[in-house]
Amino acid sequence: MATQTATVNRPKQDLAVEPKIQELRKLFADAPELAKTALENSLPSLKELLAEAGASQSESAGRIGIRQGKVSELTLIAPFAPGGAQRLRTLLRFLDGNFSAAKKVGTLHDQRFVFLDNDTKLLFATAYDGEWDPYIDDFATKIPDEMDMIFSALEGWPGIRSPKIKDWIVAHQIPAEGWFVAHPDLTVAETARVKRTSKAVEEFLDKIG
Amino acid sequence: MLSVKESVGESLSAQAPTLDLHEIQATVLRPRPAPYFGTHVLLRIDDAQAGRKFIRRLTPHIASSANWWDATKTWLDVGISYAGLEALGVPQDSLQSFPEAFRVGMAARARQLGDDGVNDPKNWDKPYGTGQVHIGVSAFSDSEEKHQRALAIAREQYEGFSGVSVLAMQDFGAQPGDRNSLGYKDGIDQPPIEGSGADPLPGQGRPIKAGEFILGYPGESGVPLPMPQPDILGRNGTYVGFRKYQSRVGAFNRFLRANASTDEERELVAAKLVGRWRSGAPLTLAPDKDNPALGADPGRNNDFDYANDPRGRQVPFGSHIRRMNPRDTKLTRLTDVNIHRLIRRGTTYGLPYDPNALSEEDDQVPRGAIFLFMSAKAMATIEFLQQEWINDGDFIGANGERDPIIGRQEEGATFTIPKEPVRRRLRGIQTFNVLKGGEYFFLPSISALNWLATLGE
Repeated sequence: MATQTATVNRPKQDLAVEPKIQELRKLFADAPELAKTALENSLPSLKELLAEAGASQSESAGRIGIRQGKVSELTLIAPFAPGGAQRLRTLLRFLDGNFSAAKKVGTLHDQRFVFLDNDTKLLFATAYDGEWDPYIDDFATKIPDEMDMIFSALEGWPGIRSPKIKDWIVAHQIPAEGWFVAHPDLTVAETARVKRTSKAVEEFLDKIG
Repeated sequence: MLSVKESVGESLSAQAPTLDLHEIQATVLRPRPAPYFGTHVLLRIDDAQAGRKFIRRLTPHIASSANWWDATKTWLDVGISYAGLEALGVPQDSLQSFPEAFRVGMAARARQLGDDGVNDPKNWDKPYGTGQVHIGVSAFSDSEEKHQRALAIAREQYEGFSGVSVLAMQDFGAQPGDRNSLGYKDGIDQPPIEGSGADPLPGQGRPIKAGEFILGYPGESGVPLPMPQPDILGRNGTYVGFRKYQSRVGAFNRFLRANASTDEERELVAAKLVGRWRSGAPLTLAPDKDNPALGADPGRNNDFDYANDPRGRQVPFGSHIRRMNPRDTKLTRLTDVNIHRLIRRGTTYGLPYDPNALSEEDDQVPRGAIFLFMSAKAMATIEFLQQEWINDGDFIGANGERDPIIGRQEEGATFTIPKEPVRRRLRGIQTFNVLKGGEYFFLPSISALNWLATLGE
């Protein structure tokens, strides 16, 4: 169960590089030999990375989670309700990756459902644009059944229309310690637009070429 | 009923209202008169007992929404901030029943509102954001004389005893007509509210569930929204986002001139930014040329959708009105446009718009608007709009751009006008309306005011 507080507590990044290297060496002192070797081999490039890290791209994604540019991460772990694992597994198998509601949402880059600990818990992870908080009410009026059908598999799911829903999500969300996004400036909508533009440019080039 | 339609721009419904109109403050349902006169008074409570005495004396003069369509359009309203509720001695468990955003106040929500850069609370006028604004009283009227009389009545209720101090007074109004500080007719498109006793105007869409705007009624999801406790305090109340903007008229005029070579072109650019000509005529119905008669007609000036404008050739996606009410525009994100509407009362202050003001000094002339944004979903609606529809463009395909009128612009901001064969991109967009302050208020019902007045007795 997630017990973290609602804000991501990130250390200040403006420390000098050398103390960080010292700290890492201390932590790696008890590590296996291959880890120590790897650290020493990586030092030249690592120093550069640490020096740049002051201008870190990661920031808080609203109440909880981290964001790079426009893309945020959400990881949620919650116990299954009785029979929930079986219901969800069957649903997911029948859907076979065909998530029309997820597509409709328009901000989801991906989502995954991982069954943990002998089907007692679900790990749900997604990359999405912006913050989830502002759009919860839209889910509640636009896709309430799609949401409740899937997430009612979880213990204590209050229902997407419940005023308690935001607190429930926060209580089960675990902020990532690390988060990498290849194109932090590209939202799902922007990606679609870039694809359209690119196709039009190719067609244009084909015509004049 | 013709007089009603003409005077307040609404038409009475054959159906009787189902809301407790006698409980709901008039500002929630009564449209601003045109022309209008008024004053906002901001007060601080230094002593709980004195504060309650003030509320007790003031409450009989606070107008309810009973007969909100009545043409006698002079009234007082009162809003109370979280700090004000504390100062009045509201019990702790009741204080804790208010949502967090309201409790911490507008300045502390700067991140959620995108109030940074020039709009950062550290640049605000005093007393906004200091935690000292406890009560806001507003007088609205259609005549200067009646306005002064209403203001005098308000003054009588806090003068003559200690414990309540006036922090600031701000006169507002627009005469003649109701043009705002950038020269536009505004306040045209309001959400239709179910059970208010008025039929929607043409183009207003279906009535929206009252619970979106007034506490104690079901909202669009069918469930009543969380309400401050006890019931008597929350029911029939609503929340107000109060925001004061300074219009940089010189910068706005310079921008228009830099992007147009004739007066006609300039007015077209001005219309594209908003989606309406300055007369209020919507570009959808008057795409090439202004039509002042259309702009002035409440039966026609909002009667449109975007079915024939899917590419924004008439009303650009990034324009102010298409952002603030996308109607049937296909949005990139799953959105229920009916749950992101606000009742808004714009109150223009300072000198009227001057089309020839071009200097940087003109940007500093006190002139702008104070907006009252009302929603029962506490501050969630205004924070959503600020975050998603004003200071972003992704939701509607205006990627990387912000609302050209009330957005907080980044260096190098642009505005795109979709056009055949290629779009036109205007550069040099600046923050034309700078935020100078704001507060979150609770607008209690008449019964709630009486409850507050007798706390501790």
